[in-house]
Amino acid sequence: MRIRDETMGIRTTLRTCARGGGPVLIWRIALATLLLCGIGLLPWLTRTNPALTVLKARSAERAPTPEVLTAIRDELGLDAGPLQILGQWLGGLLLHGDAGSSWISGAEVLPSVVQALGASLLLMAGALAVAGATALVLCARTLWLGSRGRLARRRTGGSGAALLAALPEFLTASVLATIVGVQLGWLPALGWYGPQWMVLPALSLGLPAGAVLGRMLDDLLPGAFAEPWALAAAARGLPGRSIARQALRRCVPGVLPNLGLFVVGLTGGAVAVEQIFDIPGLGRSTLQAAVAQDLPVLQAGALALVLLAAASGGLVRLVVRLLTGPALRDGALQSLHRPSPPAPRVLPLLYGAALLAVVALGLPRDPLALDTKARLQHPSAEHPFGTDALGRDVLARVAHGALDTLTLALAISAVALLTGVVLGFLPRLSGPLVDTVNAIPPVLAALLVTAVAGSGPATPALAVAAVAWGPLAAHTSALLQQERATTHLLATHALGAGPLHLLRYELLPAVLPPVTRHALLRLPGTALALAALGFLGLGAGPPTPEWGLLLAENQPYAERAPWAVLAPAAVLALLGALAVTAADGVRWPRPPRRARPPRERRPGTLPDRILSEPDQPHAGATPTPRKEAATVREGAR
Amino acid sequence: MRSVRRRRLIAGLLLSPLPSGCFASGGDASSADSPDGGRLRVALAFPPAERFSPYGADATLLSRLGVTEGLTKLDANGSAAPALAESWKRESDRTWVFTLREATFQDGTDVTSSTVAASLTHATQARPAPAALAGATLTAKAAADQQVRVTTADPDPVLPLRLSSPGLAVLSAGAYEKKGAVSPVGTATGPFELTKVNGTTAATLDRFDDYWGGRAQASGIDATFTADGMARTNALRTGEVDIAEAIPVSQAASLDEGTGRETATMRTTSLLLNTTSGPFADEKLRAAAREAVDTSALAKGVYEGHADPGQGIFGPALTWAEGKRVTPSGRVRAADPKGTSITLATYDNRPELPEVAQVLEQQLEGAGFTVKLEVREYSRLESDVLAGKFDAFVSARNTMLDTGDPVSILAGDYTCDGSYNLALLCDKKVDQAVARAEGEADTAKRQDATMAAEAAILSTDAVVPLVHQRIVTGVHASVRGAMLDPYERTLVGTGTRP
Repeated sequence: MRIRDETMGIRTTLRTCARGGGPVLIWRIALATLLLCGIGLLPWLTRTNPALTVLKARSAERAPTPEVLTAIRDELGLDAGPLQILGQWLGGLLLHGDAGSSWISGAEVLPSVVQALGASLLLMAGALAVAGATALVLCARTLWLGSRGRLARRRTGGSGAALLAALPEFLTASVLATIVGVQLGWLPALGWYGPQWMVLPALSLGLPAGAVLGRMLDDLLPGAFAEPWALAAAARGLPGRSIARQALRRCVPGVLPNLGLFVVGLTGGAVAVEQIFDIPGLGRSTLQAAVAQDLPVLQAGALALVLLAAASGGLVRLVVRLLTGPALRDGALQSLHRPSPPAPRVLPLLYGAALLAVVALGLPRDPLALDTKARLQHPSAEHPFGTDALGRDVLARVAHGALDTLTLALAISAVALLTGVVLGFLPRLSGPLVDTVNAIPPVLAALLVTAVAGSGPATPALAVAAVAWGPLAAHTSALLQQERATTHLLATHALGAGPLHLLRYELLPAVLPPVTRHALLRLPGTALALAALGFLGLGAGPPTPEWGLLLAENQPYAERAPWAVLAPAAVLALLGALAVTAADGVRWPRPPRRARPPRERRPGTLPDRILSEPDQPHAGATPTPRKEAATVREGAR
Repeated sequence: MRSVRRRRLIAGLLLSPLPSGCFASGGDASSADSPDGGRLRVALAFPPAERFSPYGADATLLSRLGVTEGLTKLDANGSAAPALAESWKRESDRTWVFTLREATFQDGTDVTSSTVAASLTHATQARPAPAALAGATLTAKAAADQQVRVTTADPDPVLPLRLSSPGLAVLSAGAYEKKGAVSPVGTATGPFELTKVNGTTAATLDRFDDYWGGRAQASGIDATFTADGMARTNALRTGEVDIAEAIPVSQAASLDEGTGRETATMRTTSLLLNTTSGPFADEKLRAAAREAVDTSALAKGVYEGHADPGQGIFGPALTWAEGKRVTPSGRVRAADPKGTSITLATYDNRPELPEVAQVLEQQLEGAGFTVKLEVREYSRLESDVLAGKFDAFVSARNTMLDTGDPVSILAGDYTCDGSYNLALLCDKKVDQAVARAEGEADTAKRQDATMAAEAAILSTDAVVPLVHQRIVTGVHASVRGAMLDPYERTLVGTGTRP
């Protein structure tokens, strides 16, 4: 009986997914084709000579004489022009399943890409396991308190998650490799030969990802615990564990799309970790191919990632449908909002004060004065944060870098938030776009943006923003999907509210706060992404004291002069914590209630709603009992 | 019931054996203590770029691992020494005759004059041509009695040096059988035979027992290619490898005492000034830049002493240069830069270079220049440098090219027709001096003429030598007989054992 129920459930789910899938599928294929064409035209768009970049990848010291370049052009058949090269490659792939040969090594592309993809997928799986565990640990307190109905007294956390999310992968990786791998000798520090080799790389990748996911989940959980079914379940005496499990199940669909993005992002973008642990993964090979303009490898790698993105996107949608399908269809969900806004806290003030103090102390110092006789010095009265590899004062560099880093990262985050929310409201359009954009390795994205926008001063910011909006759009869409299926929305609609009214007073207020917190959580990551483009000649270069750059240039000295990396890492983490906790502070329940009526109308439980909305006396009144019962059933199953 | 089923599913997923194909193979180094000499584990910095093609940069890899050999090799003084050729003599301006020694290829066939001639002919026909043959045309013919006659289109007094290039290694007929790629697997003559190549991550080599120079002490080599310097250092520190190539300066201090072996190399880091356009077209400003530079601060401060302050284009690794150096003459007096703004470019493929550039920036600003720094990845920078878009460029260049002849770097980098003239220098006196050195056949006179040409270049101030890098090779304390040479062409030989 139950089994038949379930198969039918899956079948209807599949049918729902397939319905209206035609245009989306075409859009998806169009995007993939566009991407492949973009890669195929890359050298011609950026006006860089592929023969030269290939020569440099083969042998950096070889003089690029005309004879050598001509020989390479002939060998690769570059004179045929981009369209014909692309056509031949596509033809070979579609007709014979042959993805061509690498322009650098001449080896067949497909086997090497498949092998690299295998390693990367395994690494990603490990990282996801770590991320899942991290997320659970971060939510543990909320789950514990929530399942016992004691959430009201809980002070929202988030600092821990923000600190973890701000950890740069390459820093965690090199610290883990040095301390756990070399000094303690507990785990192998490099190579990719078996399960024990997976631990350290998976940790370095999984911790920040898990922090982001855990924080998003933690954001939704209080809302779930405040839903009537949880009260009913508790009243009926169900054990706390079951309630916690059902609450998780209720919230996971909101986070799954981002999990799907991490799946693809970690597979193709784990360059630093692959390098430090010497893992033959896809990230490194696409990076090398992108720099050398080895188009066949680049195209095959990008295609593999796009396919992976489509697969994981499809899987995520399927799972979301399975978890919340009937409730979504019947519009029987509750709005997942915190029953009461978090209490005002001093934490953001503390973080802000610490950050300001660092900046204020460092600003009078000279960030560029170098003294090679005072390299890598311990923190002292003269240099409170020590000195870097060129004898510069780390405190001064951190302080002077703050302004640039903050303004740029904030601006990019704001643009990404705006784009993400706008496009997130158009899930059919943005879903495939998010998947595709997210599948492009960051360096390739930067190259493509440069190809379109030229290498102006705004290009690096554009390149980062072009990718940064994706997770936010996915998050928006996921929340929106649930919000649209809520009972109160149905009711408001039934009372004759137009789409604009719904958007303004119901959907936006419901979606914006969590997505904004998500955007702020990713702020440190944005700062790091900017610095990562430096080597393409984009963005800030040395000796600018930009934070990401500070981290990158001091990373080789992490073992000998830990303070030189710890200081910028700490301020970055501080920034993350400040951003996340301050986002809660924005929601302080200040007295003038009328100043922000839509926010005050957000409480999740119905009696509250009715009381606070005297102008809509029947809001959700009639349909509620049935729907609520459905929700309880849904939740308790 | 449902949750039980779900749990079963999860357990099944967890227990399903990890797909072993997704791991890299070749991780077991269990045979390290076989009775017949252990295997040597080596971490190399550069992965094979072209599937071990003997004509590109991979040729150096093969030579460092003791796989391939040419007719000649370079000795410690940079002169040609016998390798597969026992002896040679110059018959005429354009013709040399090489007498081969008794040797066997790794596939069992004998090294004969016809296979050697065929192998050299294949190299001359490769496209793009091996770097050692840049600007030279040669034909190799088998002569009687284990002799090979090599004829060049133009007189070539340094042909034996040229033939020492790893790109002109001798391979058996079997190497050329497959169309498309030349394969050095089992077709070379060195003490170690390449048996298995695992993409760009690892390679397995076994000892070649019939090597003409005697059996190697190590029974084989497990080579891994690890591009990241910190990862290589970690591999050595955890004992995963016996030898790690090119330890970065930043990591050298973390090695155990006696593990980091320093070798002076032919690699010179220099400041190249754009002599054609921009402020440095004015030689007085070039002189001001030269005077502003403090090379010892770079050698000590950035290279942590793993470098010698710049002496000339050629550093102390070119042993014969000592005592033959000529002081540059006729330099102009420096002018006051008065805040002239310049762009200083460098690349970050070598982590020390951005640091050098930042120290230089301060030194130049101290002298009155206004400096803007530009750091990029090398392949994104080079064409702009060659096009003269920057005023100054910091570059680390190996001054011993594949030709094995120091003059060729002077000709390539500093003459009007030079193919790699990053300083965009075109100076009559320099061209004449270089041409004189190129035409000299007698070794001692050629060396004198080379140093005179170097002085002529230095007196234009187009190039300011900064430091001569000493490369740090991580060699485990138990390893004996690692062959560290200034030309970076050898690493493992018959006498190397773990």
